[in-house]
Amino acid sequence: MLAAAVRASRGLCGVWAAPGGARLSSWLPQMVPFRGSHWQTSLLAFRASLPVRAQPKKKKKVDVKREQAQKDRMKKKIKKLEKAAPEMIPIEDFITPLKYSDSNRVRSLVPLSFEETERRVLLLKKWCLFKQKQDNAEKKAIQSLVEAQQEALKELRLESEELYQAAIRRDEGLFPFERDGPNYTPPLPGYDPPEGKCVDITKVYTQ
Amino acid sequence: MAALTAVHCGPRGNIMAAPRQRVASWGRWFCTATAPRPWRLFGAMCLLRLPRITQPLEKEEEEMAALMEQIELEKSHYSDHEIRKLEEEEQLRRRKESTYDDDEAPGKTVIMAQDLEDKWEQKLLQFEAAPRITDADKNNIRTSLDRRLDSNLMLLVKQKIGNQELWLLPQVEWQPGETLRSTAERAMATFLGDRIQAKILGNAPYGIYKYKFPRAIRTEGNVGAKVFFFKAFLQSSDLSQAELKEDYLWVTKDELGDYLKSEYLKKVNRFLLDL
Repeated sequence: MLAAAVRASRGLCGVWAAPGGARLSSWLPQMVPFRGSHWQTSLLAFRASLPVRAQPKKKKKVDVKREQAQKDRMKKKIKKLEKAAPEMIPIEDFITPLKYSDSNRVRSLVPLSFEETERRVLLLKKWCLFKQKQDNAEKKAIQSLVEAQQEALKELRLESEELYQAAIRRDEGLFPFERDGPNYTPPLPGYDPPEGKCVDITKVYTQ
Repeated sequence: MAALTAVHCGPRGNIMAAPRQRVASWGRWFCTATAPRPWRLFGAMCLLRLPRITQPLEKEEEEMAALMEQIELEKSHYSDHEIRKLEEEEQLRRRKESTYDDDEAPGKTVIMAQDLEDKWEQKLLQFEAAPRITDADKNNIRTSLDRRLDSNLMLLVKQKIGNQELWLLPQVEWQPGETLRSTAERAMATFLGDRIQAKILGNAPYGIYKYKFPRAIRTEGNVGAKVFFFKAFLQSSDLSQAELKEDYLWVTKDELGDYLKSEYLKKVNRFLLDL
């Protein structure tokens, strides 16, 4: 009788379980200790430890030391480089490129005749004299300029001291003085210069 | 006269001579020159248009230039262009003498260095530069700025002094409260308008011309005039503004003698460099 009742109740339970879906904990006749996850050591306790990854944990102190060591090495290198004497910048004008020292480059000249050398020497002497005269004339002109100015300033001083002081004062706006020098021919009105771009290829050296 | 007494009585330099408009309150200096200065002050401007082209070379300079070029050529080595030219001449010569160069494709168009040179020569001949001697030069128009491009031109204006009309550098009387440089600037502005661009060379005058008035006008307080000259370089090349006075000229230093009086000319010549 009892066995029949148990079978009947099991059967009834069986009938009930099918439409409701499988909810294990609701229809189990006795409490079975059930864990939500295998990380829970006891059912009633909360999660005691954090989830730990698979690889071992990195220690921060070793990193800092390594980085500092790297920085020191770099600084030492920089100091060494700075201590070395600065490289000399080559003067490109003084270095003849090798391609110009070929022997086929030497000009074949007719040797100078005696008259030619004589003419040259005499011309140089005449030039010397010409330049000397020119230079003397320039110096005289500058001297007369300075004298005239001194005289003017003297007269001005006699007139009024404050005007004189104003005259002696330095003119700040005078320098830098710029002027486009004289050319061989005057500028052509309406000239259209050919188009082109100037690319500067000079080598710039830094020490 | 008055100037000498001022020198004697003023021991300290800064009160040596009071300007003429200042009422002499420095009575304790016991100067007899307490009256206003008898000299009237003028500021004049010598405006120069600088040369635009180089001056022609003298005979010695030309000879020397030629010699220098020759020496430079003799001391030099062959350049790349010259080597190319020499090689091509060699090739041409060999081709003419013998016929073994016929295996080169004759249809190949090679630009020879000589052709390049001819082409450059042609291009140079096509270009026409502006003439160094302008029309104004040929017709001797002395009021234009395009004349005598290789020398300095300075401005002369006709001004009435007393009862005479004279050719002078533009001048204007000094007024109290301004420096002489600003007087000269004002003189320039009166004759050429406000928009003139000129660089005045410094605060100090370059020369002075002192003259006494004729006896008829001379009084105790008005003995004569002192004209202080200032120099300036003309920056703007075109003066499209109408000049206020029609009588103006741009002349070179050697032409000054045609217009200026001898004494005045002497003083002006001292501060003009020969160009």
